[in-house]
This record gives sequence, C-alpha cells and structure tokens, in this order.
Amino acid sequence: MTGWEVLIQQSINGLTRGAVFALIALGYTMVYGIIELINFAHGDVFMLGLFISLAWFTLLGVTGTLTGWQLLTVLPLVFVLTMLTTATLNVAIDRVAYRPLRRSTRLAPLITAIGVSFMLENVALLWKGPAPIAYPDVFPSFDILREWFGVDSAIFLTSKDLLVVAATLPLMVALHYFVTRTRWGKAMRATAQDRETAQAMGINVERTILITFFVGGALAGAAGLIQGMYYNIGQWWMGYQAGLRAFTAAVLGGIGSMSGAALGGLVIGFLSAWSDQYISARWTNAIVFSILIVVLVFRPHGLLGERTADKA
Amino acid sequence: MRESLGPPALVVALLVYPFVDRALGLQTVHAVSDGMIYVLLALGLNIVVGYAGLLDLGYAAFFAIGAYAMGLLNSPVLGSPLYGHAWSFWLCIWLAAAVSALLGLVIGAPTLRVRGDYLAIITLGFGEIIPVAIRNLGDVTIEIGTWRPIERLNLTGGENGVNPVGRPVLPGVPFETDPVPWYFLILVVGALSLWAMSRLRDSRLGRAWMAIREDETAADCTGVNPVSTKLLAFALGASFSGFAGSIYAAKLQAITPGAFEFQVSIMLLCMVVLGGAGSLKGVILGGMLITVFDRIVLSQSTFLVRSIGRTVGVPALAAIDLTLWRWFFFGLGLVLVMLLRPQGLAGRRVQPVAADAEGDQPLAPEPSSLPRVEAIPMWLRERMTRAPAAQEEAILDVRGVSKAFGGVVALNAVDLVVPRGAIIGLIGPNGAGKTTFFNVVTGLARTDGGRITFAGGSLIGLRPNAIVARGIARTFQSIRLFPYMSVLDNVLVGEHCRLAATVAGAVLRPPAVIAEERRARERARGLLAFVGLSGKDDDLARNLPYGDQRRLEIARALATEPRLLLLDEPTAGMNPRETETLTDLIGLLRRELALSILLIEHDMEVVMGISDRITVLDYGTRIAEGTPAEIQRHPRVIEAYLGTGYEREPAAPSP
Amino acid sequence: MLELADVHTYYGSIRALRGLSLSVERGEIVTLIGANGAGKTTTLRTILGLVRPRHGTVSFNGARLDALSTDRIVRLGIAQSPEGRHIFPRMSVLENLELGAFVRSDRDGIAPDLERVFALFPRLRERVSQKGGTLSGGEQQMLAISRALMARPGLLLLDEPSMGLSPILVETIFRIIQDINRQGTTILLVEQNARMALRVAHRGYVIQTGRIVLHDAAATLLRSDLVRKTYLGEK
Repeated sequence: MTGWEVLIQQSINGLTRGAVFALIALGYTMVYGIIELINFAHGDVFMLGLFISLAWFTLLGVTGTLTGWQLLTVLPLVFVLTMLTTATLNVAIDRVAYRPLRRSTRLAPLITAIGVSFMLENVALLWKGPAPIAYPDVFPSFDILREWFGVDSAIFLTSKDLLVVAATLPLMVALHYFVTRTRWGKAMRATAQDRETAQAMGINVERTILITFFVGGALAGAAGLIQGMYYNIGQWWMGYQAGLRAFTAAVLGGIGSMSGAALGGLVIGFLSAWSDQYISARWTNAIVFSILIVVLVFRPHGLLGERTADKA
Repeated sequence: MRESLGPPALVVALLVYPFVDRALGLQTVHAVSDGMIYVLLALGLNIVVGYAGLLDLGYAAFFAIGAYAMGLLNSPVLGSPLYGHAWSFWLCIWLAAAVSALLGLVIGAPTLRVRGDYLAIITLGFGEIIPVAIRNLGDVTIEIGTWRPIERLNLTGGENGVNPVGRPVLPGVPFETDPVPWYFLILVVGALSLWAMSRLRDSRLGRAWMAIREDETAADCTGVNPVSTKLLAFALGASFSGFAGSIYAAKLQAITPGAFEFQVSIMLLCMVVLGGAGSLKGVILGGMLITVFDRIVLSQSTFLVRSIGRTVGVPALAAIDLTLWRWFFFGLGLVLVMLLRPQGLAGRRVQPVAADAEGDQPLAPEPSSLPRVEAIPMWLRERMTRAPAAQEEAILDVRGVSKAFGGVVALNAVDLVVPRGAIIGLIGPNGAGKTTFFNVVTGLARTDGGRITFAGGSLIGLRPNAIVARGIARTFQSIRLFPYMSVLDNVLVGEHCRLAATVAGAVLRPPAVIAEERRARERARGLLAFVGLSGKDDDLARNLPYGDQRRLEIARALATEPRLLLLDEPTAGMNPRETETLTDLIGLLRRELALSILLIEHDMEVVMGISDRITVLDYGTRIAEGTPAEIQRHPRVIEAYLGTGYEREPAAPSP
Repeated sequence: MLELADVHTYYGSIRALRGLSLSVERGEIVTLIGANGAGKTTTLRTILGLVRPRHGTVSFNGARLDALSTDRIVRLGIAQSPEGRHIFPRMSVLENLELGAFVRSDRDGIAPDLERVFALFPRLRERVSQKGGTLSGGEQQMLAISRALMARPGLLLLDEPSMGLSPILVETIFRIIQDINRQGTTILLVEQNARMALRVAHRGYVIQTGRIVLHDAAATLLRSDLVRKTYLGEK
C-alpha cells in the first residue's frame, strides 16, 4: 500500500473506532453533566452490551450470518433488546450504588463507581471466561469497493464499516431529537444547567437522573453490539480500556457537552488509529492518557465545553 | 493518639511468629511478608488519601518506580552493564525512595491544583502510563538521521522484567530463600514507617493536611499553603511506596510490569478505605483483612464450597473456584463500605458532610462562658500592642479596586481605608460586592486594577496564605471551621503560619520542636479561654452550638496574630443574646488589643452601633462613606436600600 | 389562599426563620420586604418545598405543603421567578418558556399562554430563539416572570424582580406585575426595593432576622418612617 492508502485505511479505522467511542462518551458526558459523577463503570456497561447482545443472538437462535429480511427484523430486534437490557442495568447501578450518595462529596460515588466496575468485570470474567470470546459473524461482510464499484484497491472499505455508520448516525439523531424536542430531554438539560431551579419548576430531579442513566446505558449497549459485530471478538477487560479512551474523548470534547462527546469520540478514534499505525500500538494507551492529563490540567472544559467557575 | 509499638502481647506475637511457623511447618511466612509489604504501601497511600484527602488511583506507579530503581541500581541485568557493579541494597532503598519522591513532585506540581475527582483520574492516567513506559523501554534506540547515540538500551527489561535483583548484604544474616530474615527486615521497616507516620500525623504538618482535607479554602485563608502542603503529602506518600517497591524487588528477585497495574492501586485503595482513611490502626487492620481474605479465605472457602457441592450433588458448586471472584469481592467491599460505613472500620468520618445536609445539632447547647478582659492571654496582648517601627495612619489602604466576572461588574473602582485601631463597617444591598471585596483583599480573587496596601506593603498578587502571614485574618459568612477536627486543633491550625517545624522536625522531634508545640498548645488554650470556650478542647468543631462555632472561628483567626481582622457577617443566624455577646467581643478586641477591624454586616443595629465609620457599596460602587449617623440619613443610601419612588404620589392599589 | 403559621426553618444549625407567620388572600398582591439576610428568600424556598420547616405549617388552599415534594407543590398551582432570575443559560427563550409549562397536563393551553406572555413582554417574542444566557438583565427578568406564568399558577412568587435593573425597567416590570394581578393571579412579592413594592402591593410584611416585625396595609407602611428605621437600624 502506498502512504496515502495507509492513511486512508487508518482513517476509516479511526472513523469506526470513533463512532463507538462517541456512543460511549455520550453516556459519560450526560451523567457527568447532570450529577457531576465520573461513572467509572460505564465502560463495563459497554462491555456487557457486547456480551448481552451475544446472549440475545444465541437466545434467538442466530449462529451464522444474517441474510436478507433477517437483517431488517432480527438485527433491529437485538439492538432494541440489548439497549433495553443495558439501560436497565445502568439505572439499577445508579439506584443501588450512586443515589444514596447524592449529597455526599464528589469522591465517594467515584470510589463506589470503581467498585461497581470491578464487580461487573468479574461477572463477565466468570460468565465467559478469561479468553477472548468469539462473536459470530452475524453481519454479512464484503468489500464494498470491489463488489459495488468494481474498484480494485488496497483499501478495505467493507459493509461492516457502513454498518457502523448506519447504526450510529440514527442513534445520534434520535438522541439529538430527544434532547432538543421532548419534554424529558429538555428537563434533562435544564437539570444539568441549574438543578435547583429545575426542581423549583416542578421537574422531578430524581426521575430526570434516572432517564439520563437509562439513555446513557442504552447507548453503551448499542456500542457494545456494534463492536461485537464489527470486530467479532470480545473480552472481559475490554470495558476498562474502552471506557478510559471514551472518557478521554468526553473530556477532550468538553465534559457535559454532547456535541463535544461526539466530536471527542471521533478525534480519539482517529488519533488512536493513527498512533497504532505510525507510532506503535504499544504506546497508544500512553498517548491517549497523556492527552487526558493535559486536557484536565490545562483546559478542563475541553474543546466545546463552557468555562465554568469551579464549585469547590 | 499516641502510637507506640503496640501492646506487648502483639509485639511478642510478631517476633515469635516466624519461628512458630517453621516449627509447625505452615510455610505462611512468605505470603505474610508479601502481605506486609502491601500493608506498608497502604500506609503510604494513607498519607495521600487519608491525611491530605487526595484520591490517588495510580499509586502503584510509585511502587513500580521504587522497584525498577532498585533494579537499575542493583541488578546484574540492568545495572551492572551500565556501571559495572551493583550498588549496596541499603543505599538503594533510600535512593529508590528519593526517586519516587522526585517523581511525585514532578507529577504533583502541575496537577495538584486540579479538583478532586479530576485529580483522581489524572493519577489513574499516570498509573497507566508508567507500566506502558516500562514495557516499552526494554529496548530503547534513538536515531537521529544516521547517528545512533543510544542503541538497544535496556532500561527496564521490557515485558520480561528484571531478574535477578541484588540482595541485601548483612554480615551473618543470609538473605536468600529463607523467608525469615526478609520477614524481620520488613517488620523493622514497617515499624519505623509507622513511627514516622504517627509522628507526622501529630505535628504541624499533620494538622495542615487535615485542614486541607476538611476545607481547602478555609485552610488557605488560615495561613496554610495548600499547594506545597499537598505536594509534600504526595511526595512523602510516593517515597514510602518507593521504599516498599525496592524491598519487594529484592525479595521477589524479579520485577515484572504486571505487578504494578491498576488492580494493585485499587487493592491498596480498598485497604485504606476499608480500614479507615486517616487511621494508622485502621489501615493496618484493613490491609491485614484484605491480605488474609485474598490469600486464605478465598482458597479455603473454595474447598469448603466444593465439598458441599460434592456432598449435595450440585456440579456447579463442586467445580467452583472462588479465587477467581477476588475482584468481585473487592469491588463489592468498596461499594458496601462507601454506602454503609464510609469512615471504614476504624476511622473517624473523613468526608466532610455536604453543605446543605440537615444538621443534627443538639438543640440545647451547654452554656459557655463569656469573653472577659482578664482572660486575654498575655502573649496575645504583647504581640498585638508592641509598636512597629513605622506607624502608618491607615493599616489598610485600598484604592480603585475593580473586579468583573465575565460581563458583570462586581466592584467598580472602590476606595476604602481602615485607620489603625478602627472598626469600619461595610454595608450595602444584596449583590453590592461586599464579599467580593473581602475576597479581593484576602487574595481569593484577583483585582482587575487598583492598589491594595497593607501596613505599607502591597498585597496584589499574593496568595491567601501569604496574606495571612502578613497579618490579615478573616472569618466567613457561613462559618468555615474544620468540622471533624477538634476545637483545639482548629485553633492550632491558625498558628500554622507562625510556627516553623518542618517534615524532619515533625518526625525527629528535636527539643526545639517539642518546645514549639508545647508553647503553641498553651497559646491555643489561652485563646479558647479568652473567647469563652475553655474545657471544650477535644470536642469536634461540628458539635459546637452555632454561637460557639463563630467564636471558635474568631479564636482561630486570632491565632494567626493578625493586625487586621475581616469579619463577614459575624452575627448571621444568631439570636439576640449571641449577637450581643459577639458585639461585646468585637469591641473588646479593638479596645484591648488595638486590632483593626473591617466588618460586613446586614444587622443594621449591630453595624451602626459598633462602627467608627461606614462605607456603603451599591452595585459594586462606593456610594457613601461616613459616620453611622451620617449614613442613616444619607439620601443615596436610603435610596439604595429602600428604592426610588417616594417622590411621587403612591399609586392607589387596585382592589 | 396561602398561609404560613409559626414557621421555623433551619439551615443546618442556623435558624433562618423564627416563628414566621403570614397570609396571602386570593387576588391580592402581598409584599414581603426586609434587609438582606432577613429571611425573605428562605421564606419562598420553604413555601416551595426546597427546604423543609422544622416547626410550623404551610398551607395552600387548605392543603398542607410542608410535607410535599417540590414537584407536587408546583403542580398544585404555585410558580416562582427566582432571585437572580436563574434562566437556563444554554436554552433558548422558547425552551425556557416551555419548561415553565412542564407540569401542565393541558398541552393545548400552552400555545395561548405563550401568546399571552408575548403580549405582556413583546421583547421576548423578538428574542424567541436566542439563548437565555445572552439576554440582558432586564430581558432575563421578563423571561423569568414569563416562565413562571407559563405554569398558569394560582399563586406567583416573585423574588426580587427589581435586582440589577435600571429604574425605568423597574417601573415597567412593576406596572406589568400589576397587570398580571389584575388578570387574576395572586402574587407574593419579595423585594428589597421597599418603595416600589409597597406602591404596587395591597398589604406588606416587613421581615427582620427571620420574623415579621411590621405588618400593615401597603399604603400605611409607605407613609410611615418605620420601614426606613427598620432597614437602617435606627431604634
């Protein structure tokens, strides 16, 4: 491959990674925006999304590649089921582990979140074992450039790449609609901007928080399903790394800002793919975490966030 | 709390244990020694998390640095190729500690000013970066064009790690595979560390850490430099970790990057949280419990459950392996402790209660005595009334100070003068900028322009704790004490900027430091007696009735030996009797101690009754200045408070 | 309509309200005036359930409020324009207004009420899609009051609507407050600007350190010197 082809290929990789990161980052940023909690367990909800989606496929008897009309019925069904499951899981975690600590300091629920994260990871470890699990190739995979356009190129643009985009975009659009047009979406934004005033206007703050966790959890579940279908592999500890990279994305974009999370997800996706290619995959984690540290120290409001006075 | 070596029975047990183990053939000494190293690490983490209140999620990084420093200096794999011979173990552990401390300073200096949860993530980031660096520095080649200054340098042994590592050399004591000498080495190091830590806790530095943990801003405004104090905690914590890491490396004879990952940092955090952050006994207890749980309980339970499974005939139980559940239990433990008993097994409540929690105050306060002239401590009187060389008329001279937040102007070219020995009132309607003015003078906010001169020197650009050292003390509108520290300790924190003991002084306690601490305590008790709070030395500040809390805050402010006292709504929330007592105290301070006082108040009767002169702010601008009588009749003041509209006929209200 | 009887409210150990009693009859404008820190905002927060009284009762149309959650209280027909306005800064004027109607179950009634609000404050119609944080102080105050009106409340709580506004704007706002009252909304007006408040109100209460010290018809209070003395600490 020529230098250009490598760059384009890695950029395609970056885009697909970025889409998944963006979905996860949105969950981080929504929860942080409303209760100022870094939901450490969120990455593990993503990982469980992959596991749970696999379980749903198995339950529905899907073991091979889906064809034709199945793509239009079974696939969306599994999406919905997975998202509902992870959404419920996320809400349950909040109820049990975070809600009792609402009035505590910022650090107590963070410690609890770490505890929850470890519990979830261990559950996955016990459920499917320590080795990578094989995710069946449910989505038909073919080289688009070759089969649709007849182009013979060293670049691989596959149907799976389209899948990622085709699955992520509607979710983001739906989220945007929810947040800007619906009553509860607006209540969510209002509560994040000024909790007491929102309460004084009759908004039930706890219910709004519940909805936030629900939506965030659903997005993480979708991300897990997409990840499984794209990479055909999953492992119990993948939530930790993906979670930290997605959190970096949320911080980079501006924690609390949803467009920031989407933007940050894409940026981190590209950066991690380019780093893997041009530097070395062994250093990518260090690079991503360095970005996280630099942003938190020098520009904590990220690219798109608001410069707010620190509520000590 | 004095921490000696512990009750004699415990000491004997510790000394005798390895021999008993050998006699009984239990072979647990290795595991126990390893556990003791982790407990030592947890104690180091306790300084950072428990004393200073900084959540560090990447503590294992310093552990790694200590171990690899030992490897670099002492291992034939790494060290000898670099400089031909191994260094002495006994020297290396100190060097490793120093290197870790240095890394702690380097990491901490730019990051410790970031707020708590972000700081936690940053430390996690470093905790991740260090193992990555270690893994990848086993084969370092630097190429600049065709020049290769460094070729295939092995700095860390890479993924494979470092093996072997040089052992300690002590005549007559073999540090080989027999675990007993190692056990005693670690025991001695542990005992010394405990001793040093308990010394640190009961020192000027220890109190400063706790003050920062309780309320960083209040600590800053009481003369404690939060940046350097936090940095010290971070670096000291790191150095203990470096110690432990170097010993661990030598004992294990192998250092691999896998031993320093995130899980290790979290396990240490579990020990601290479970045992009780801030309590040495608690952390040791937590550490022991977790080590025992991890190494013994899980495996033994596995046998138990398996045999039950076989007996009852449930194959799932018969094949279970509970050791695979360790992280589940650790996670569960963290969650349960945070929800049910956040102070841990042995700690006092560490987390300050959130601001708007309903109080559980005793409704019937015990009567406290009133401040009396005779009770003014002699030392305070001497300090305050000795005449400085140059006598300026005005102790505080503020000219043209402005402050804007975004587009909102909070202060607009305000002038204010506090003459020496005067009581000046600062009043104004809501949002007039009074507290902003205090914040600018005390360094919590930076002025956009103008001059602030105090006793001849400029205050512009100084940090709050430096301004306290110059001689300005303040109280806050919503009382900001250190709630979980004792009454006496609160006042002692006030003396922080007038004492001089350092880290070495805290640990070694030379006679000068002992004398300084004794004097400090006497002075603190004198101040408490003066404000009418004797006999409450050991009560927690948060348990005092409201009026007493305000007096304690004033005692703490007096401990900084101020020449100017800034009081922000001191009578807020007080009943008439408490208000009267406080007003008398303020008058006493000026009369007897020649203190100059600047006072924000909303209670007009108080401020009109006690002030020599009053300045009135409205929308950040000074609209009037004069005696109380003048202000009460000043048309602009009346307008600012009561509004316009008297000039016209009042409109008839609709039915 | 609204009755507070011997209310004691605490913040932690600080007693902010010491046996406060006041009442508001249907159709009235009642004003609660007093210096800073006297407890005016605390009174409103107690009514809304943002903070619970430790003793005493709060009743609205016969129903006890002091044990209800805030969203229930708002549903009963009380809305607030808070001190400092507290517009949602990153939401548009329209979204702020729509949020004001959050608790309403009659979704059809919202559009006419929007019209009513724009009729009172034409400036808001011009700025309808602008973000709340970009409005001027006066416009934000108009928006805060309108947002509260969108709930079609029986009782409107106004907390220092004059703060930070120029005298002309204050005149305008207070005239509109009278209009709102004439159209049928009962108003409890908390103010530091005593004169303007007493000019528009029927009755006035003066609060000092958590308790009522003066209570009379507004016109009477306006003429007497007692208010000035209370505010400025003369005995």
